[in-house]
Amino acid sequence: MAILDSKTLFDIILVALAGGLIGLDKTAAGQFMISQPIVAGPLTGWMLGDAATGLIIGIVLELIWVMDVPIGTFVPADSTLAAVWATAVAVLGSGGKAQLPAIGFCILLTVALVPITMWVETYIRKWNSRLAAAAEPAPGEHAGRRLSRAHLSGIAVFFVKSFVLYLVLLPLGLIAVHLFSGLPAGFQGAMSLFVKLLPLLGIASAMRRLSIRTTDGFLLIGFVTAAAIGLALRANFLLVMLVAATATWVGVKYREGRSQEHKDA
Amino acid sequence: MQTLGFAYAMLPALRRLYPDGSELTSRINLHLEYFNTQPYLASFILGAAVRLEEERASGRNRDADVRGMKAALMAALGALGDSFFWGALKPFAAAAAVAVFLAGLWWAPLVFLVIYNVWHVGLRVWLLFLGYESGGDAVSLVAEFNFMKLARNLKILALSLLGGILGMLPFWRAEFRLPVPAVGPVAIAVGGLAVTFGMVALLRAGGTPAKLMLGLAAVCVILTFLGAA
Repeated sequence: MAILDSKTLFDIILVALAGGLIGLDKTAAGQFMISQPIVAGPLTGWMLGDAATGLIIGIVLELIWVMDVPIGTFVPADSTLAAVWATAVAVLGSGGKAQLPAIGFCILLTVALVPITMWVETYIRKWNSRLAAAAEPAPGEHAGRRLSRAHLSGIAVFFVKSFVLYLVLLPLGLIAVHLFSGLPAGFQGAMSLFVKLLPLLGIASAMRRLSIRTTDGFLLIGFVTAAAIGLALRANFLLVMLVAATATWVGVKYREGRSQEHKDA
Repeated sequence: MQTLGFAYAMLPALRRLYPDGSELTSRINLHLEYFNTQPYLASFILGAAVRLEEERASGRNRDADVRGMKAALMAALGALGDSFFWGALKPFAAAAAVAVFLAGLWWAPLVFLVIYNVWHVGLRVWLLFLGYESGGDAVSLVAEFNFMKLARNLKILALSLLGGILGMLPFWRAEFRLPVPAVGPVAIAVGGLAVTFGMVALLRAGGTPAKLMLGLAAVCVILTFLGAA
């Protein structure tokens, strides 16, 4: 099978266009979280006929990068591009429904995208920051015209950035997946195991940022409640989660009550 | 980018308030000064800026300090909004959606979008009007909405859900079920918790998610070739 036949080239352009639009939601327009991996991954997969692969990739990348956020001037890893790219490469590289080893390998490859996308994003933001000066109206000019033009061109630059990155990086990914499929079976098994363990890394990554000493106990409340009810009674997964959240809420209210009593005393 | 976005959002109001071209130009230039805050809470500042511009244009308060108000609010609201939206609401919505996915249901992305956007869109609209009504009085904002307390509670709930997800590890959907049939479900759950705490320790010791992904892949390759997995 040729790596880049005409249908694949068409799909690459389609993904680049869709990925460029989805990427606008990240900072340039809206921020309705469509750009988050948990949404962007399945959307890309659905577009290519394999939403399940996008969902698996999106969930894993969401957990891993959920707390990597654009606070102040910090430029985080581009998890949107990672999710869209990994999904497209996994699906297109498998010629249909992607298998777990290919999914794992594509997620692993997104590590290489982190420094590239961070560098490009920083450069584009610096370039865009100059647009404010260009937006100042000239004497006698229709007020606001320059501002509108500068604002919309700033958004367009973000789109073009993502579009070009996809056009360049997607073929490279497909070549990598093609090479991966020729590796010994052990590597395929290793990548399946990798996918199964990745949610633990994702949970650890979220926990690390969420947890402070006074709240760590609530993680254990959730764990013990779920383990006790779920494992002993084999109760429904979501019901167990609901009970764990309720138990935590009771714990929070109890703690608030104790704290109020302490203040009153 | 936010500087341009803010000035662009102000443009329709400024055009109505200042029909005179030269004054309009000077007000646009004022709003093109550096602006950076949490994007959703910018609605509050936007509402307040429109109110002060209105007062200034109508002559009720010619000295309305729009620049000062923006400078005073953007840092404080930035910290508040980052902590609430990025630090608490987003991980909570993600944890809930991941639980739904690992339970075997496909509509996890919808759960994420609904939980997040009910708060996000609701607050964004409400803050615009509150900013306008209060003229940028941050005290009224804090009195109306306790961001700090809510952020802490959402973080706690997110942590609890993550703990619950780990507790249900033996029942995760098939793609993520670990290949250890000889071990009981309790041992799998406890083992998962231990591995996760180990990873948290590595992250706290200076590791990054990207480095840990590489390390994890290397461990998986070694385990597979040793026949342990």
